[in-house]
Amino acid sequence: MNAMSPRFVPNFGPHLGSHFGQGFGMTATVSTGRRSLAQVRERLLLVAKWRALWLLGGFVLLAVCCLLRIAFLGTFEPAHASRTMAELLLPARGEIVDRNGVPLARDFKSYSLWFNPKALDNGPPLIRSPREVALELNRIFPDLAVNVLTERLKSGKPGYLRRRILPEDANRVHELGEAALEFPRETERFYPQGSMAAHVLGFVSANGQGKVGMEQVYNGRLTDPATRGQPAVLSIDFRVQGALEDELGQGMALSQAKGAAGIVLDVDTGEVLALASLPAFDPNKIDGAATPNIFNRVTNQVYELGSTFKPITVAAALDAGTVTDLGRRWQASRPLQVSGFQIRDSHSLGASLNVPQTLIHSSNIVTAQIADELGGARLKTTMQSLGFNERPYIELPARGFPLWPGGNWPRIQTMTVSYGHGIAVTPLHLASAYAALVNGGVWRPATLHRLSPAEVPAGRRVFKAATSAKMRQMLRMIVAYGTGSKADAPGFRVGGKTGSAEKPGQGGYQRSTLVSTFAAAFPMDHPRYVVIAMLDEPKGTMATSGQRTAAWNAAPVVGRVVPRIGPLLGVMPDETRDVDISDLLPLIPGEAH
Amino acid sequence: MNLTRDRVRSIGWAFVLTVCAALTAALTLRVNAVRSEVYKSEDRIVALQHEIGFLETEFQTRANQQQLKALNDVEFGYTAPRAEQYIEGERQLAALGKPAGPGAPKPVRFAAADLAADGAASDGGTAGGTRIMKMVSPITGIISDTASGKVQADKPEAASVKADLSSRLARIEMPEAE
Repeated sequence: MNAMSPRFVPNFGPHLGSHFGQGFGMTATVSTGRRSLAQVRERLLLVAKWRALWLLGGFVLLAVCCLLRIAFLGTFEPAHASRTMAELLLPARGEIVDRNGVPLARDFKSYSLWFNPKALDNGPPLIRSPREVALELNRIFPDLAVNVLTERLKSGKPGYLRRRILPEDANRVHELGEAALEFPRETERFYPQGSMAAHVLGFVSANGQGKVGMEQVYNGRLTDPATRGQPAVLSIDFRVQGALEDELGQGMALSQAKGAAGIVLDVDTGEVLALASLPAFDPNKIDGAATPNIFNRVTNQVYELGSTFKPITVAAALDAGTVTDLGRRWQASRPLQVSGFQIRDSHSLGASLNVPQTLIHSSNIVTAQIADELGGARLKTTMQSLGFNERPYIELPARGFPLWPGGNWPRIQTMTVSYGHGIAVTPLHLASAYAALVNGGVWRPATLHRLSPAEVPAGRRVFKAATSAKMRQMLRMIVAYGTGSKADAPGFRVGGKTGSAEKPGQGGYQRSTLVSTFAAAFPMDHPRYVVIAMLDEPKGTMATSGQRTAAWNAAPVVGRVVPRIGPLLGVMPDETRDVDISDLLPLIPGEAH
Repeated sequence: MNLTRDRVRSIGWAFVLTVCAALTAALTLRVNAVRSEVYKSEDRIVALQHEIGFLETEFQTRANQQQLKALNDVEFGYTAPRAEQYIEGERQLAALGKPAGPGAPKPVRFAAADLAADGAASDGGTAGGTRIMKMVSPITGIISDTASGKVQADKPEAASVKADLSSRLARIEMPEAE
């Protein structure tokens, strides 16, 4: 370019100069001679040519600019689409799904009602008086108090009047004709199943943070753009969860209990298929009144679970070899007097009982004697290896610490712990322990992640396989012939143990406030699932034949849950199969009929 | 201006170059037009996916477990099937349809097809079902043969799934959005 420009400048320069300089002097030279006239004409022509050229040049420049712009747009235009489809489809917060991929928590665009006093630039924010508008709004949303609303509208401050309103309600608000009432669509967390599994899922607070359940545990990965495209998979099966909540709710209503808790646990992997704490809360309505039901009875509340501990004690004694003969008889007629404390049964169970009879009739006296022979140290070791001395293993943030007697257990402590008193654990602890009791003796931590077969933890051995096999027989006998008979769902080979523990209150244990638990597993010939049902302070009602013990309220819940969930989990009822208990039947001649 | 050979060649090259440039430009424009169409379709796909998600959520909410339970409590009263209502597998199911052996007692029937109403559809059609009037088309006058049950009998059986019964019952079917 530098080499060329000097050549062009001299060529154009003089023409430019002459054109402008002589063009202005045109009128002055008109009247001169012919020669000058010809010159003028020549100049005029030149000027005209130059003007035309300039005009042409201008148009060419414009055309080139337009073409360049078109070419630029044609080449680089899609720059605005820097967001790919995958990014656009990425949810604001990842989904949570159950083990079969059914969504339990997902994003949902819903309308909210927003008061914008600046909607009309000048003048009052509302056309009518705040009181009138508040009355109209109250007609649409009856739970919004008129006085509070009037104050909000009078104050002239922008803010939400209500989140999550229905489209038809938004239309009705629109019909009020107030420009200041806006309804923006916002992404909200939505739980299609309502209050189901609320304690497992938790909720998302107004500032987008997960609270209470897996929303809190997964908060990082649900909000991280790299991972939130993939749903978080729980071990929960929503059909099992629904059945458990249904039946627990019904059991709770029938016995007028204060609350209820339930778990379904896979005995071989530790996966939690259902976890229910009733009364539940609705995470969709969490920003309303703060709800007291957020407390999780399964993982956070510790209870003295009573007689459900007896199988654990018997298993520990079988394992340690202190009980070698299940037919050995123990006295059951006289209450035990130990260090000024009396251990008695609810009613007389006869002069003496053997081990299966002890479990079938749930005798405190005989269990205490078995534990006494076993010794505190060995019972404590077993309980420790079942995890009773630490918080339960589960991902949820709410995990209660057991009331665990430390140090060396004195004789009376050993005896009371053997039948589930003086030690308080969560129902989840009990579920994991029962899984170890029936699955061949291996304890595994409970989890809410769906595990692939390769991810199943090895666990730790607590009981010998032979002990576990004996316990399967005896747990089945309790349901077939003993206190758990109301849980005996035909064909499902249920085995389990009742537990009705008196709650500690002022001045010792209260005989009328109970915690009724039924801990079960099925099918007993090859245990797959543990089911725990617990009722907090049930009352004796018509439906429970005036009884408040677990045999009358918690056991029937299990008896109704198992037929509903068994086929869904691949356990078919079959009345031609059962665990073989023929070697133990001669030990219970009175009960087996 | 004489056209030497070299000049013709260079003019030719320039022409070819110009044509190529023009073609390239046209192609670029075309490519970008298609690309922007792709972006538009992607936007539409995104919008539709959002709509599908919205409808899915609405369906799940209206058909959630608690709603279904309330409906069942009021309308249907279904309970979990009892043990004797289950069968072990395909083999046991097939055994139910086995013809009775010679000299076997006649099966006790809890229900029987009403021959007069059902016509020739039942296997006793030759005896009792002949009295029923055949359907005659009012337009063509052709006697319809559909009531004889032959049409239904030839229907191909639904594709059977090679899985055992328990796994099929335990299966859950989800509508796929993709």
